[in-house]
Amino acid sequence: MKILHSIVEKSLNHPKVVIIIYALITVIFLTQFPKITIDTDPENMLYNDEPARVAHREFKAEFALHDSIVVGVVDDSAPEGVFTPDTLNRIAAVTDEISQIDGVISYDLISPTTTDDIEGRGGTLTIEPLMKAGLSDKAEALAVRDRALSNPILKDMLVSGDGKAVAIAVPIEEKDQSYRISKEIEEIIERHRGTEEYHITGLPVAEDTFGVEMFKQMAMSAPLAGLFIFALMLFFFRRVSLIVSPMIVAMVSIIWTMGLLIGTGNTVHIMISMIPIFLMPIAVVDSIHILSEFFDEYRAGGTKKETFINVFDKLMTPMLYTSITSSVGFASLALTPIPPVRVFGLFVAFGIMTAWFLTLTLIPAVTMLMPERYLKGLVKAEHGPDKLAAIQRAIGHLSTKRSRMVLVATLLVLGFSAYGISHIVVNDNPVYWFSKDHKIRVADRVLNEHFGGTYMAYLVLNGDESGMVKTPELMAYIERLQRHLTTLDVVGKTTTIADVVKKIGYELKDREAGSGVIPESSAAIGQYLFLYEMSGDPEDLYHLVDPDYKKAAIWIHLKRGDNLDMRGVIESAEEFMAMNPPPGGMSSEWAGLTYINVVWQDHMVSGMLSALLGSFVVVLLIMTLLFRSILWGLVSMVPLVVTISFIYGLVGVVGKNYDMPIAVLSALTLGLSVDFAIHLVQRTRQLYRDSKDWGITIDALFEEPVRAIIRNAVVIAIGFTPLLFAPLMPYKTVGFFMAAIMAISGGVTLLVLPSIMVVLKGRLRP
Amino acid sequence: MKFFLILIIAIVLMNPALADALTADEIVDRSNLAYYYAGDDGRASLKMTITDRRGRDRVREMTLLRKDIEDGGRQKFYVYFHKPTDVSRMVFMVWKKTSGDDDRWLYLPAIDLVKRIASSDKRSSFAGGVFTYEDVSGRRSTDDTHELAGDGMLNGRAVYLIKNVPVDGSDVDFSHYIAHIDKETFLPMRGEYFNKKGEHYRTIEVLETTVIDGIPTVLKAKAEDREKGLKTTVEFSNIKYNIGLEEGLFKERYLRKPPKEVRR
Repeated sequence: MKILHSIVEKSLNHPKVVIIIYALITVIFLTQFPKITIDTDPENMLYNDEPARVAHREFKAEFALHDSIVVGVVDDSAPEGVFTPDTLNRIAAVTDEISQIDGVISYDLISPTTTDDIEGRGGTLTIEPLMKAGLSDKAEALAVRDRALSNPILKDMLVSGDGKAVAIAVPIEEKDQSYRISKEIEEIIERHRGTEEYHITGLPVAEDTFGVEMFKQMAMSAPLAGLFIFALMLFFFRRVSLIVSPMIVAMVSIIWTMGLLIGTGNTVHIMISMIPIFLMPIAVVDSIHILSEFFDEYRAGGTKKETFINVFDKLMTPMLYTSITSSVGFASLALTPIPPVRVFGLFVAFGIMTAWFLTLTLIPAVTMLMPERYLKGLVKAEHGPDKLAAIQRAIGHLSTKRSRMVLVATLLVLGFSAYGISHIVVNDNPVYWFSKDHKIRVADRVLNEHFGGTYMAYLVLNGDESGMVKTPELMAYIERLQRHLTTLDVVGKTTTIADVVKKIGYELKDREAGSGVIPESSAAIGQYLFLYEMSGDPEDLYHLVDPDYKKAAIWIHLKRGDNLDMRGVIESAEEFMAMNPPPGGMSSEWAGLTYINVVWQDHMVSGMLSALLGSFVVVLLIMTLLFRSILWGLVSMVPLVVTISFIYGLVGVVGKNYDMPIAVLSALTLGLSVDFAIHLVQRTRQLYRDSKDWGITIDALFEEPVRAIIRNAVVIAIGFTPLLFAPLMPYKTVGFFMAAIMAISGGVTLLVLPSIMVVLKGRLRP
Repeated sequence: MKFFLILIIAIVLMNPALADALTADEIVDRSNLAYYYAGDDGRASLKMTITDRRGRDRVREMTLLRKDIEDGGRQKFYVYFHKPTDVSRMVFMVWKKTSGDDDRWLYLPAIDLVKRIASSDKRSSFAGGVFTYEDVSGRRSTDDTHELAGDGMLNGRAVYLIKNVPVDGSDVDFSHYIAHIDKETFLPMRGEYFNKKGEHYRTIEVLETTVIDGIPTVLKAKAEDREKGLKTTVEFSNIKYNIGLEEGLFKERYLRKPPKEVRR
């Protein structure tokens, strides 16, 4: 502590030096900013060598599958939908231009003019694209539709089951190109558009668009939140020059943190982009305590320097401990196995400690440079009529005179929370990161209404003998598994090699009734497929099987990308396979982005629990150490336990999904609620030590200390309301819960802690 | 008359100076004759190795019979598959025409069915490899415009460089291709195909040639698709020309009953 006090003194003595040094460091960190790399890939929620990801990559390589942008075309103005010659010709023209965009894998494009249909009529088998450009009459256009609808592979993928819409799947080389490519597609569409509407979606677009908007949000929301906080502090302290220093502390700690993060080569993931928003309130909090106290003391007379030294005598310990405990709360996120969440936690922890050190040094330095005369004027203004006083007294009355009632209410709240927590639904879906009316959400809705589903998951059956997949037994098994999967509500379609074999058989026998079945011999299956290789694009088959026919991929089209839905599909399929083991001892494996999301979500839930428990234990230890009493330590943990329980109880009761931002909020709650508790307990003990009387202590407590806590809670809560207007859901969520956390943890600290102290005053020896 | 014709061809073949005076169209026609119409008929065993993008090979073995109805005109092909075993005894037959779509049949022994296969798409794969039908049976010279893009050397031999641009680009996957045609044998030794973005994405090259019965003959060739990461090599053996194949062999009923010429 001595060292810290001498640091404060040095800053008071050499304010200009302090400011110059900080300016230089800040400039150095600022120079790192241009190196920023944005990362929006949900796959990166898992380590690169995570088994599920390795398997997913291997799957993509084995089956030559690429991430795709989906362009859905619908036309509600015509009864035939898009199946008029003009519209189809326009779609053909659009497709042709899309195929020439850089980064588009043109040979794998799925569209009416590029994807083969199999048709056997008049004794001739034809495998060629569903349509050619240049349709001239209605009948031709409708024939395109009918051919697609009678092809189980194309139905609900290329042409909607209702016969109204067409989807073009545009495979791309790199996911991070999808925003640019989708913009180019939009331009192409603009040139050709008729009465039909085009919707662009697909996970890569969602992710990349999110990245672009995230960038805008980082530049908008954080400064806006800063502005709000500034305005509120102005309301409380009435003078711009006074609150400039806390704002500088916040800005500088954000710049240092982000500069270090970018400079050390970390990519900015969605979570990480929210670091400034998380840091802002925490960085401001200590300064508010210092300045509140400073002006209360300064009013009583004395020089600036003496006053600061006195203030730091009182606040040094709680400030240090609140900062450490908040840092611990965030650093505990390093216990989760999710890389961006780890980086987030560690760097917020760094930011908190930076803000703490800046508060110790920069606030005194800036204040020292302000003329005394000017500050005296400020003090008067600040001491004007105080409406807060009435609220403070009311809370004080409630918690000290009605302590038992408050405690009973707290228990009821805990009961409610337990109920809510038991109803929490763990779920996430990257598309929900956009607000409901965002065009990506609209496209998602429209396409999933019409088609089998734009969310892909893959179940791979692995055998160890080549040719295994060509056996009638396995084909029949795949067929049964498909039939089982399609009974699930969320599964709109499945596609497998068995569909291809059956379709070939049906067309080979001139669409004879009952001919669309799996043939009886492996040789026949082999010959059907060879026929396809002889007349279609052989590579089509290798999206469904490997060339050795050891592996078969079952494509599962899901109508929703919710982890919850995916988990349901996995469970149902695993159950089916447990009861009906695949022939030949084949093993199974999952892949696909929708599946990957489930894996990291599972990691997150278990990881968050261990992070929360771990940081709880550490914070409890710190509290016990600080107060030299286990009982005081436990008591000071009460507000955060109540707040966290209540927040998550609320999440459960309201039915909000427990997703990534919600999970991370537990760390913020822990960090901030314990702050309030530390300040309150520490001040209580100081006051009691001075007065040796509980009554006087409580009265004094509900003056300045409580005022600082209320100010903090209100500043932070209201400061984050701008986030509610962000178009990205995680920001909205954070904005809302930030306000809720502040209100709840502030209220709980002020009501419950004094109540406990009053009830336990016989046993609590300060 | 025929004697004079042969004499003239012989003179032209032996005199590079005269050959140099050929137009692009003439070179392409000569090349087509040399490569696709060698002899009046022929037989060969073909081993095709398809290497997928992950470097794994799969092998197909077949016997080819060819009968020219007229030089540079109609032809009939009979392809009998030996391997892989599940497609053994499958037969593929083509009647190549000079206009309109060719006729193609496929026989599936497992279900004893002969099926006509539509053939409007000549760019589709032959037997699952990178070679297309056109690569195997020839692309009509009238489908492209030809331009002599210069002379070059390929593996120590003089070649013509012919740039071929399709007349109707909507039917094909390339914007143009450059053929390297051997000035002496007129065999197309290398073809470089450019996609519609102008990138060189596909290559066909002859790796080994020989002379059989006085006819320059390809023994080994390779096709590579860089976009898809696929390679296919073909190796010919047991090559015989002018074995007197009857046109009557190339009939539907012989699909079920393969002639002795294809059995090994």
